Amino acid sequence: SFMKVHPPGSSANDKALCILTDSREISSGPEVISCLKNVHGVKVQVCSLGGCDYIVSNRMAVERKIQSEFSNSANRSRLIERIQHLQNLFERVCLVVEKDRVKPGETSKIFQRTKYYDSTLSALISAGIRILFSSSQEESAGLLKELALLEQRKKSGIIIPTEVKGYKQEALQFYLTIPNINYLTALNLCHRFESVKQMVNSSVDVIANLAQVNPQKAEEIFRYLHYVFESQMLPSNNNVKRKQ
Amino acid sequence: MATNESTPIRAGASSVPYGHVIGSDKWRGTELAQLLQGKVKLVFEDGLGLVDFHLPKRTCILYISESDLVSGSAFKRRLVRFRKACNLSSIVIVEKTRLSDQYFPPVQNFVVLELGMSLLPVTNQSEAAQLIFHLVQERSKEGNSNPFILKKRSQLSEPSILQTVQKIPGVGKVKAQQLLLYFPSINQLANASVTELETAVGRGIASQVHSFFRQTQ
Repeated sequence: SFMKVHPPGSSANDKALCILTDSREISSGPEVISCLKNVHGVKVQVCSLGGCDYIVSNRMAVERKIQSEFSNSANRSRLIERIQHLQNLFERVCLVVEKDRVKPGETSKIFQRTKYYDSTLSALISAGIRILFSSSQEESAGLLKELALLEQRKKSGIIIPTEVKGYKQEALQFYLTIPNINYLTALNLCHRFESVKQMVNSSVDVIANLAQVNPQKAEEIFRYLHYVFESQMLPSNNNVKRKQ
Repeated sequence: MATNESTPIRAGASSVPYGHVIGSDKWRGTELAQLLQGKVKLVFEDGLGLVDFHLPKRTCILYISESDLVSGSAFKRRLVRFRKACNLSSIVIVEKTRLSDQYFPPVQNFVVLELGMSLLPVTNQSEAAQLIFHLVQERSKEGNSNPFILKKRSQLSEPSILQTVQKIPGVGKVKAQQLLLYFPSINQLANASVTELETAVGRGIASQVHSFFRQTQ
């Protein structure tokens, strides 16, 4: 009996919508979070997601960017790094471009569209990144809710407990070190396998099913667990030449 | 599927040469067409059906003007018909102006979330021309110069594995390396007995490692 919770999708409707958010969003998007909770009745779990603003489903991350920051070419490399990071971890990546806040007494600045802005949007769309435009934190909250709902309808909603207690905290930290695995996949491994040993001994199919990842990702995880470690390959031992 | 209406998509328009745009005849003489003409090779054709512009790499542009937005939901039917008719990748460009601003959020929900198409707002035809130019540029690039498209690079697993093993309670860097010397994969480590583990590390840690893998709630 691997399953400790309902099979994916079966109990999606009797649970509140759930979204994970990075702890840094508490300071950068306080109204997004309070709006999700108070207006939309979404359960918001604040975690340390390390390089990801929101997780709305088993496979989708949402990155929230303020328009002035997004359209400033000085931030190009940071944006590329961040999006690549998310592409590594998630099947689907969505970017919300949010209008800058206007402080009381200030008039909103007219947004100057640049070549950089247009070419960045073009490249993102080509890469399959979904882009949404928002005029405020409140509107961004609404978009996050809609995305979570959509993913729930597609049987990818977050239905496992997002809190981790006891020894499972240790297991979670262990799973999080698996390369290219996102926080939610690690949570799935934590909650859906009875023990770490059982997880480590699972087939690709079982991993795909219980971790809620695609077959390629499941195979990547499987290979990692069976990879034969050679200490000469560690960077500190670089002077040792690799045998061909 | 037989239909007595005009074909929604022109056959063959899915292959457009790099640097070219095929525009619907109805755009002839517009500000957008004039601005675009100097930058890309714009060819007009009639019978493009629902599509306003065809771009390289099987990309279609559907344009929703300010008056389309304000005057009702005819544009929605057009988008739905397009979605049903073909699987070309499509970008919807919408005129989001002071007048049409209030209509934008529901349209975005409809286009992006319900239909799964891309949506890009512009404020006028001049911005649209600039944007289409960049979309054509992006689709005319050779190779994989798009920085957002992931290039698979093989990474060494050793440093990660060392990190993973160090997450077992009681195991630091030195003990992790000792364990991996005897049980060189996470799978082998997870299946080792206490006695086997004791050959690599002390009794206390051996039992901690053993129980970490077997703990259940």
